[in-house]
Amino acid sequence: MAPHNDNRSALPRGAHRLPINVDLIAVGIALTLAALIRFNVIHQISF
Amino acid sequence: MSTQTIQMPAAARTRSAPRVVLGLIPGVALLFGIGLLGKVIEHVLTILRREHHLLFPQIDYVLWAIVLGLLISNTVGVARIFHSGVATYELWLKLGIVLVGARFLLQDVLHIGGISLVLVAVELVLSLSVMTMLGRIFRLPPKLTSLLAIGSSICGVTAIMAAQGAIEPEEEDTSTAIAAILTLGAIALVTFPAIGHSLHMTQHAYGMWAGLAVDNTAESVVTGALYGDEAGRFAILAKTARSSFIGFVVLAYAVYWASQGKAAVVQHKGLFLWQKFPKFILGFIAISVLATAGFFTHSQLSSLSNLSRWAFLPAFAGVGLRTNLRDLVGQGWRPLVVGILGEIFIAIITLGMVYWSYAEGVAR
Repeated sequence: MAPHNDNRSALPRGAHRLPINVDLIAVGIALTLAALIRFNVIHQISF
Repeated sequence: MSTQTIQMPAAARTRSAPRVVLGLIPGVALLFGIGLLGKVIEHVLTILRREHHLLFPQIDYVLWAIVLGLLISNTVGVARIFHSGVATYELWLKLGIVLVGARFLLQDVLHIGGISLVLVAVELVLSLSVMTMLGRIFRLPPKLTSLLAIGSSICGVTAIMAAQGAIEPEEEDTSTAIAAILTLGAIALVTFPAIGHSLHMTQHAYGMWAGLAVDNTAESVVTGALYGDEAGRFAILAKTARSSFIGFVVLAYAVYWASQGKAAVVQHKGLFLWQKFPKFILGFIAISVLATAGFFTHSQLSSLSNLSRWAFLPAFAGVGLRTNLRDLVGQGWRPLVVGILGEIFIAIITLGMVYWSYAEGVAR
């Protein structure tokens, strides 16, 4: 695979992403929140 | 490189973690501020309509958040200090999607997800073929055609970014393909709900259609949510099924371009598939399994569902904020025409498939 070009600035703004694995962080936060709700650390959340 | 990451710029690599986190705060505050303002406007207009009988249209906070974001992005612009924080919209979007898993029983996920997988497989073959044919007719560079085909058939910008490392296109091709896909996503936000209403589509059928036809995950979720809460949920489910194909399609293109001697050979195909697979789908299924197994009480499920709505709030604002119309024009008319023609084809084909699956009772 070719070396990665750092071309963030050349791409449209909509293409700019965080320099982290967003998927794993999202899953980690979701499971943590689910556990906190399940064990009543966080109570009723309304919207 | 996984599908969800791009390497940090040199300046960012040298910054310490606390400084990176601090740098996110202004943009995150802007995302939540716009989302909350959207909710406030919706609430105020509802009160004015109910209490004072004023003739304001019923406009959901989803649309307000997008419109406010679009207005800022295309008038005063988004200052550099907000950029890294605004990019977190993707994190909020995926957090919302994982949490929405609490609102699906596993049997629904398997049933609707299974139907979606079949429909996606048909859509993939047709859309990749048509986009490739259109690219040839309009004499686009072959790798730009590949990027447009990948982006429009799977999941938009994420798929293009994943393909970028695998098929090694010109930087200009990547930029053009992304601009075309973002433009088409912005068009879908306006056209899909109007078409859905004119055809009197049910929430489920419309959601499936939005998930199958709109490219970018963010635009797909928003296009569904603009039609209604149920439509938003079903758009997420169909879109998730579609996104799961990303590795296979990118791998196929990588193997093709390597066989032409114009890209590196993929050494470990299994590892490649795993790297490209969107991991948030596993979180969505995990939460759905827990909900189905009775791990949560009814009120806890309600809390998880509301948490997902809170997570979507900044994501909707981010869709507006990152859409800069100046970025989207001036990329040349031919890629956009190819994209528009291809998207019209995909929209019609998927609409037909969704109608068929509901008319035949395959989906319910």
